[in-house]
Amino acid sequence: MGRAGLLLRLAWRNLWRNARRTVILLLAVTLGVAAMVFAAAFSRGMVVAMVDDAIDHLPGHVQIHAPGYRDDPAAEHRFPYPQGRLRAVLDGPLVAAWAARVRVPVVVASEYDTAGVTLLGVEPRREAALAYLGRASVDGRPLADANDAGLLIGRRLAERLDTVRGRRVVITAQGADGALADRGFRVVGLFRSPWSSEEKGIALTGLATAQRLLRLPGEVNEVAVRAADPERLEALVAALRAAAPELEVADWRTLSPLTHAGQQLYSQFTWVWYLVVFLGMAFGLVNTLLMAVLERTREFGLFLALGMRPRWILGQVWFEALLVLVLGLAAGNGLALALARALGEVDVSAFAAGAELAGLAQRIPLIIHGGDLALANGLVLALGLAAALYPAWRAARLAPVRALRRN
Amino acid sequence: MDALVTLRAVTKTYRQGEVDVPALRGVDLDIAAGEFVCLSGPSGSGKTTLLNLIGGLDTPSGGHIQVAGRDLARLSPGERAELRLRHIGFVFQAYNLIPVLSAQENVELVMELQGVGAAERHARARAILAEVGLAGLEGRRPAALSGGQQQRVAVARAIVSAPDLVLADEPTANLDSENGRRLLEIMRRLNGERGVTFVISTHDPEVMAFARRLIRLHDGRIQADERRDGPP
Amino acid sequence: MSLLARMAWRNLWRNPQRSLLSLAAIAFGVTLLVFSVGLQIGGYEQMIGNTVRLLTGLAQVQRPGYLDAPRLRLDIPAARDLRARLEAGLRELAPGVVVAPRAQSFVLLSSERRSLGALLVGVDPRAEARLSSLPGTVHRGRYLRTGEEVVLGAALARNLGLAPGDEVTVLGSARDGSVVATVLTVVGVFESGARELDRSLAQMPLATFQDLFAMPDRVHALVLGEAPLDALPELVRRTRALLPPDPPLAVLTWEHIEPGVKQAIEMDFASGWLMYLILVLVITFSILNTFLMAVLERRREFGVLLALGFRHGRLLRLVLWEAALLTALGVLLGMALGAALVAYFAVHGITFEGMEVYAEQFNLPPYLTPKLTPFVLFSGPAVVLAVTLLAALYPASRVRAVDPAETTREVG
Repeated sequence: MGRAGLLLRLAWRNLWRNARRTVILLLAVTLGVAAMVFAAAFSRGMVVAMVDDAIDHLPGHVQIHAPGYRDDPAAEHRFPYPQGRLRAVLDGPLVAAWAARVRVPVVVASEYDTAGVTLLGVEPRREAALAYLGRASVDGRPLADANDAGLLIGRRLAERLDTVRGRRVVITAQGADGALADRGFRVVGLFRSPWSSEEKGIALTGLATAQRLLRLPGEVNEVAVRAADPERLEALVAALRAAAPELEVADWRTLSPLTHAGQQLYSQFTWVWYLVVFLGMAFGLVNTLLMAVLERTREFGLFLALGMRPRWILGQVWFEALLVLVLGLAAGNGLALALARALGEVDVSAFAAGAELAGLAQRIPLIIHGGDLALANGLVLALGLAAALYPAWRAARLAPVRALRRN
Repeated sequence: MDALVTLRAVTKTYRQGEVDVPALRGVDLDIAAGEFVCLSGPSGSGKTTLLNLIGGLDTPSGGHIQVAGRDLARLSPGERAELRLRHIGFVFQAYNLIPVLSAQENVELVMELQGVGAAERHARARAILAEVGLAGLEGRRPAALSGGQQQRVAVARAIVSAPDLVLADEPTANLDSENGRRLLEIMRRLNGERGVTFVISTHDPEVMAFARRLIRLHDGRIQADERRDGPP
Repeated sequence: MSLLARMAWRNLWRNPQRSLLSLAAIAFGVTLLVFSVGLQIGGYEQMIGNTVRLLTGLAQVQRPGYLDAPRLRLDIPAARDLRARLEAGLRELAPGVVVAPRAQSFVLLSSERRSLGALLVGVDPRAEARLSSLPGTVHRGRYLRTGEEVVLGAALARNLGLAPGDEVTVLGSARDGSVVATVLTVVGVFESGARELDRSLAQMPLATFQDLFAMPDRVHALVLGEAPLDALPELVRRTRALLPPDPPLAVLTWEHIEPGVKQAIEMDFASGWLMYLILVLVITFSILNTFLMAVLERRREFGVLLALGFRHGRLLRLVLWEAALLTALGVLLGMALGAALVAYFAVHGITFEGMEVYAEQFNLPPYLTPKLTPFVLFSGPAVVLAVTLLAALYPASRVRAVDPAETTREVG
């Protein structure tokens, strides 16, 4: 303390000599910081919701396929239902839930129309723990088990095919042996999804039923995995790869490049926004400090005459900047946190189709992340103090005689 | 007698726009410890310049200045600040006090910069304020003090850390004669009792009457340097 | 220049550093706004242009309901006549206008290796070549001419294991319910960059399609293209007037057909302006002190002016003049810098990490080119000017608190 305490006290009192001016400056800093923190919360929420959505709507955190499947999703690229070492990892502590699926493109025809969709043969119990479609609200009955021979289709697919619950449709697909197979299915239920691409493009049936249709006894095309700890995907991927070296293991970053690209874009956007807002308020900070310094020129002369060293004068002005920044940061963080808490989430469902195209969720949670908060605050404090060096240096550089002669 | 302040062939020229304005044209002067010196002369004769040079607030255009045995030309701005902090007190004509600090805090300021402990600071500041007749007004900010009271706080602050030298630039110029006399008496007493050296610039005859050594400046030169015995 | 304006101008330069800093703050904000809005507008235009040009066209004539449930029977009869009528009727509005007929059905395409579902579209190759960018993306073989030919999306061709010269079997159902089974020759493979199209689209000559699917002179859509985007409302109006009453036909714009693109633009636009407004407010508070000090510091001077017979209203105008001059200078400087930035990047393009993937999703090239339009140049500056001058009213109102007696008061 001692000298620093003295300088801090002087800085604090000087701040309130022109309270109106300080309040205006504080408004600029507060608004800027709040805008930064809020934008970070929104951007973080957007990415989290995007990732959650992407993971919830089928892919899971990690997927396992036979080689060639990702390029050419056909029934022939298949592998045995998980067993042995792979099964051990899937049932182990790294995995929260997993599901094995038959997943192939098929043609579905009603008596009126034909559409191309993705057929999923699923184990309903496992899907429910893993993905949105396993839990989606169904008009009709959901699938009972892997042997269920009924078909669940999306609401919009039913509209497109002009079919309703209880009617039959024909699914034509190429089996694992390369031959075309078709089979009639009764539509037992229509599901809803916030993603229109799912409502339009997916049909679900029991895993065993699909295996019979496609002649894949005991085999699947895909295993989707939800990680116990999403932050530690690398460990999970490594364990799965070791357990099934003959298969392709990929995490969602590879599987959903749009989501990953979104993450990159938003983090860059957040940085740019930080800098832009900071610059906006830095002008005010520097200008106001400069005014405060220039009108106290005589006083700084007096301090010099009393034996205060130039760098303590610099420190005094710097402390003023520090106080403004700390107050502004406190108020700005408080404002942003209160706003984020009050709103909870931002509803962009008015732009639903646009959001879907951009891979965004329709309700974006506002997530205050410790790291984002530290970054925004640290940035403002560090850059703010750097910007305040100029007026502080101007104050310290005053020639005492000149300063004293002014009134 | 050891010289506390020594000036040899000191000149100072200010540049005002395109014109050089000489303020001091060659001053030689020795001031011994314990003296009570008055600098007099008309406006523009170089009084303030001389004080500023002695205090290291300004640098001479030519010549040498030694204060407390140190050549000012060899000191950095920081070292000159340190010299002022430890050895020199200043009293100006007006605006002497830091407006955001109370009388007590203004007096403590220098000690705080010197690193004196809080308890000692408080005690010394209170004592010196009482000595200049301001007991009870310690907590007031400058704006709540009269001109005379402000100047007394300034004197208290100048001498509280027991400097070797107090430089006062027209300290009574803004005071009425009653308050002016009071201030002078305080300075004389401190000079007498504590041996603090005072150099006071003025063109107030009443102040000159207090001086034991009267230096007259004219056009940047010493015109007369007379010593007198005893104050009235 | 009036005396007041001259005084205001000189007053600004009494404290050049402060004025310059405020000016820089305004210029910074305006530059950023002009550039960002230019980037947005440029991006949107690219997005719309590419979407429209890829396949969708500016507008399409369809049977109502066909967009949501594209059924074979929801078709437009006497298509040749209608097409000719539209071309003739719209040429006055847009001389280059193209009306491209299309018919389409979902089919199963089979090679020896694999069978896959695909959307098979019958097109007029010459009209498509003018209206759509897709023919230009054929990177192996050639685009359609006539007869029993088909072009496939790149991923579709790869998955089917087919190359130009190979044959593909088409399996589907015709308009009359009969089975369509035929063999077409693959003449080309296109790579549009739009994943969905490359995976599931095939095109063939319209005449052959109509024969195969038993729909003579019938189409599912007449696609309008090659007209200026801003002529769209008029294009739609005139098209409607040219349509026969029976069966009912609808004119859908690209916004209806690709709602995602439209809404993504709206979302981006709305969030963009929210951010701009916040930034403008931060900058306004940043410079408000300059305006305020210009009043508070000069109370004595204002007192003198009042004593000389200035009215308060005149002082107020003086202060507002100062704020307006400062703001106008900053805005002009910002507009110049912003326009320069836009012009530079309009030539060189700008890109971000992760941009490529997004670009593909929105039919954009992997770099954005901002665009300078009157809206770009003036909308941001107008907001800055308005907000700043509004803010200047507060300090200006402090002028009323000055009274002439201040002149006689002691300084300090």
